[in-house]
Amino acid sequence: MGDLRIDGTSSTPSIVCNSRMGLLEMRGDSYPENSFEFFTPVLAWVENFLCHCDQPLTVDLYLLYLNTSSVKAMMDIFDMLEESHRRGRAVSVNWYYDKENERVAELAAEFKEDCSFPFMISQNAG
Amino acid sequence: MELLDLYTLQQSYSHNGVMLCFNGPLTRSLIEEIGNALRSYMRGESPSTALDVFGAYIEMTQNIRQYAASKGWTDHRTTATVVVAQDKEGRYAVSSGNLVEAADGPRLVARVSALAEMDKSQLKSAYKEQLRMPRAEGAKTGAGLGLLNIARKASLPLTCSLRPLDNGKAFFTLIVII
Repeated sequence: MGDLRIDGTSSTPSIVCNSRMGLLEMRGDSYPENSFEFFTPVLAWVENFLCHCDQPLTVDLYLLYLNTSSVKAMMDIFDMLEESHRRGRAVSVNWYYDKENERVAELAAEFKEDCSFPFMISQNAG
Repeated sequence: MELLDLYTLQQSYSHNGVMLCFNGPLTRSLIEEIGNALRSYMRGESPSTALDVFGAYIEMTQNIRQYAASKGWTDHRTTATVVVAQDKEGRYAVSSGNLVEAADGPRLVARVSALAEMDKSQLKSAYKEQLRMPRAEGAKTGAGLGLLNIARKASLPLTCSLRPLDNGKAFFTLIVII
């Protein structure tokens, strides 16, 4: 199964999907006008990974600002994780934020409300 | 051509605490550029406040572009007036004005008034409910989510106004206090 790598811009996050490590990482701001289009390859990768591999999936997020259409796309990803988790698959999310920016922690906490898989929200170390 | 009285303009901006003002065709790259400027102006502010102001600005400007796209208007015809100001109490006001079809005006005003009457917990449940709605082919549901998000971030109820114009259009103004 292939990997996916998308370089970040000022309005889109950098994204790394690594199937060997079972890792999806996203960093930065996300406010493209066409969020649905932008996240389509990521959604496809997650769906593929959950269907065709059986290792655990770890999602590491260093996201800052998300516009509402990016929020909707993230919710689609978390919904897929939730469904897999209910079928017994090991999935987890770690959302890291800077301690000065409590809005990011609030955003992450609101996503966490709808998830029953391990969902950690932690302050960045450095 | 009539000469603009820039001094009067400057006095009015200063009096109203205007930090940033834009008027003209609103392109995707301009939204980013102005957004970057806004962020750098707010570097001294708490990151949460800066993010709320930036977020309101992004949702409002992207809503305007989505609305124009849903009408089939070109980039050139997608014009907007955007003002970010800070009042004497330190609160930020993000205002945007744009042309809408006169027929769409009352629906927009009704939507904003409905949001203005909801408290924070009602806004949160409405937001979560809207988030769970399936994606529609049109852009309407997306705009609903953006407005809800702005209403949640605002420290005062949203206000808006509608000025009918004589060409079947109206000028819609939305004001958000953070």
